[in-house]
Amino acid sequence: MHLTRRAALALFAGLPALPTVLSAQEAPPPVLRDWYRLILELVRHTATYSPPVASRAFAYVGVTAFEAVAGGDPSLNSLAGQLNGLTPLPARDPALSYDEALVLNAALEQAVTSFFGNTGPSGQQAMKRMADRKRQRLSDGKDADLVARSVAQGKAVADHILAWSQSDGGAVIENMGFPYEYTPKPGPQYWVPTSAIRQQQAPLLPNWGNNRTFAMPNGATCALTAPPEYSEDPGSDFYAEAMEVYETVKSVTPEQKAIARFWSDDPMLSPTPPGHWVSIACQILEAQGQPESRCAEVLALVGISVADGFIGCWQAKYEYDLVRPVTYIKRVIDPNWEPLLITPPFPEYPSGHSTQSGAAAEVLTAVFGPGFAFSDATHVDDGIPARDFPDFWAAADEAAMSRLYGGIHYRAAIERGLEQGRCIGAYTAALKTRVA
Amino acid sequence: MRGIFAAVALAASPALADGPVVPRFIEETASSGLESVYEGEWEYMVGGGVAAFDCSGDGLPELFTAGGASKAALFLNRSEKGGALRFEKAEAGVETEGATGAYPLDVDGDGITDLAILRVGENLLMRGLGDCRFERANEAWGLYGGDAWHTAFSATWEKGADWPTLAVGTYIDRTQEDFPWGNCTTNWLIRPEPGERRFAAGEALEPGFCALSMLFTDWNRSGAQALRVTNDREYYKGGQEQLWQVLPGAPAKLFTEADGWARLRVWGMGIASADLDGDTYPEYFLTSMADSKLQVLKAGPGKPTYADVAFKRGVTAHRPYTGGDLRPSTGWHAQFEDVNNDCRADLFVAKGNVWEMPDFAAEDPNNLLLQREDGSFEEAGDRAGVASLLTGRGGAVVDLNADGALDLVVVNRFAPAQVWRNTGEGLGHWVALKPVMPGANRDAIGAWIEVRAGEMVTRRELTVGGGHVSGQLVPWHFGLAGHEEAEVRVLWPDGTEGPWQKVAADGVWVLSPGAEPVAWRP
Repeated sequence: MHLTRRAALALFAGLPALPTVLSAQEAPPPVLRDWYRLILELVRHTATYSPPVASRAFAYVGVTAFEAVAGGDPSLNSLAGQLNGLTPLPARDPALSYDEALVLNAALEQAVTSFFGNTGPSGQQAMKRMADRKRQRLSDGKDADLVARSVAQGKAVADHILAWSQSDGGAVIENMGFPYEYTPKPGPQYWVPTSAIRQQQAPLLPNWGNNRTFAMPNGATCALTAPPEYSEDPGSDFYAEAMEVYETVKSVTPEQKAIARFWSDDPMLSPTPPGHWVSIACQILEAQGQPESRCAEVLALVGISVADGFIGCWQAKYEYDLVRPVTYIKRVIDPNWEPLLITPPFPEYPSGHSTQSGAAAEVLTAVFGPGFAFSDATHVDDGIPARDFPDFWAAADEAAMSRLYGGIHYRAAIERGLEQGRCIGAYTAALKTRVA
Repeated sequence: MRGIFAAVALAASPALADGPVVPRFIEETASSGLESVYEGEWEYMVGGGVAAFDCSGDGLPELFTAGGASKAALFLNRSEKGGALRFEKAEAGVETEGATGAYPLDVDGDGITDLAILRVGENLLMRGLGDCRFERANEAWGLYGGDAWHTAFSATWEKGADWPTLAVGTYIDRTQEDFPWGNCTTNWLIRPEPGERRFAAGEALEPGFCALSMLFTDWNRSGAQALRVTNDREYYKGGQEQLWQVLPGAPAKLFTEADGWARLRVWGMGIASADLDGDTYPEYFLTSMADSKLQVLKAGPGKPTYADVAFKRGVTAHRPYTGGDLRPSTGWHAQFEDVNNDCRADLFVAKGNVWEMPDFAAEDPNNLLLQREDGSFEEAGDRAGVASLLTGRGGAVVDLNADGALDLVVVNRFAPAQVWRNTGEGLGHWVALKPVMPGANRDAIGAWIEVRAGEMVTRRELTVGGGHVSGQLVPWHFGLAGHEEAEVRVLWPDGTEGPWQKVAADGVWVLSPGAEPVAWRP
């Protein structure tokens, strides 16, 4: 029997509670939870949402939610002036009152329908129904002026964030992120297409590393050292790393296979790697019954960390443009070898899942503390059982190693990806979300 | 949809030295009298099928078109042989709302074609009464029509059965409009009631992963039918493409990874099959969004393991080739047919955006991919004149005016269905074959026909199913290139190999076990 994600959450026990937990009577309508449940679904049904693009949406939606609640919560500190290019948000009228749930809902409605505007007909319908239902429910019995004012404030916040997003370099995605033309660099060390999919004969989003970052200065901030020097000499480090991938896949254990599948997070078949970490955060926040403000804060930070993680990772990927294991192994070691996972259509070094998992783990550790045990039921609805972790770094380490078990990354890309993520996540963790 | 063809020894034809002959199609929608629109909201974003079959006995196929939220319609074919296409709407008893598509077949073996109509709601089996009249036969034949979003169908006659076995595919639980993902509903295998000429209660084919096409096919030429199902990954969770082993007297069983079935997850929307490489096993073309797939058996008949050769063969059909919209394509109905009669199966794909999806082409031309001598394909939809930019769904490549040049019908969503006449200019000779068997399975579904024209041997599997909710039951068409006669034989469903028999080109022949070919005179 498959556990639903909801049922799995009920298994949470003994999780350390954060200081602020509202009683059932005080609990606001679950505005954020419901919209995030929807966007975790939309991300797998919006064709342009490859992992980097998905991470961008998670960041902007998270920041939108946070700024919507921060405007009405004096204990929260706006991210304007802290995030690159984000100017002060539209101010509320201090003489007037606002309905916080309506502000947040209006902000999320505007943000989600904008950032997921390219989703399919079912997604469009689901967004509309969610918006209609929530607007109606939250407005019932309330003063019309209050409703109008609150909705306008939420929309103004979302519009401000949306306008800010347009200049980051990632706003327009064509052909699902694949250039129409691409000529691989000459030389055996460089990436070449690895699939027989026509669209993927060019690599995904080659300029993503130039995007404006959120919390860290730019894509090259947490630069990596070069990967092991390319060589086909059996005595070389490079060959040894490729041989490790080859041998690992050939002798993969059931547990390693389960790990590879658990963290596979394929675009359009899952919430993607950044969505996986957002899902982890959502599960914990819901299990703890955290208020909307705390949820918005955490989800903004997670979104920012994974978005910066992908920009930093992509900057390095296209700097080194390294050949994938499947290409090298078939050419040098065994022409009949096949990886366990589908090799993603872009250069190898570093591992994207490793970098963004490291960034997310760094932030979540800062938020919830070290040694925070949790169970991750992200893929239960897909028939993949939940997995338990003693802390966030254990999960990030496993996510990173899953790429070796799956045969799509060398060890250097995994280990250095995690370190790059740690560096990137530290910038996010340093953001001041609360008034000191 | 129909299986097809292989070229075992490729004899170069001087006429083809510069590539395949591009047939010339003329759109005759406006003058034809075919007036049909597939429409409706969310529950009709998929579907939109057409069925082609002769119910008037004049040898010209009539057309049944699904209307979605509007009424379906049957159009009598009033075309002159080799002339302009003409249709006349009839009152036939099949004018139901909610139809997504249809497949013709002779359920009761009376020699009169019946019609399976898939619907949002209850499916209908319509018994053919002759002279293009039909009556509901669900109760008489014991069919529970269900109440679901029906989107796929196939039929076969299992070994020894005197009544067909049906497979019915369903899509999303339509009560879950707010959150449809992960809510695919059950597919059904509906077998004969033992000892009776009616259907038994359906067997659930679970899990269902939102099927948009199904095809009973003998994938490894073992003599046993299997059920190929293509599923829409947009809505399933934990799903994949499926192949069911369907052995007489045993519950259907999924082929698994341990059997060699490799996990594939696509936006599966349509299936076409053909033996393109001459190894006698069918290849399967799967329509999807962006890249389509062409699967070839990779490890021999012992394992259902397939490799994707769509890129290598030039049939990815991944984005528009004309019209200026560069966004990825959305493919629906697919059908292999020899549209230029050069002895090589060509491929038609109907294209169209699902429903205002900005990441995919809004103006998405249909594909007509012509097979070259080396087995690769080249796009000719624009040159042939069939590159419609309307939102295509179902279709039929079928000879509508009995001239041996295959014509084309496409059902569009929120736009009129279109029909094109193939002028036949510069095309090769052809033959069309109509196997007729005594007993229940009159149309020899499950048989294979082989045609030898000079050095070329082509073959096709006789199936009911596949495509995108579109089927046809008409004589099976073979191009003969420059050959004025051909040798033909039937490998009958019971395994009997018929003898090679000569037939003259440019005609329709009835083939029966133990008998000489007879020219068909409708």
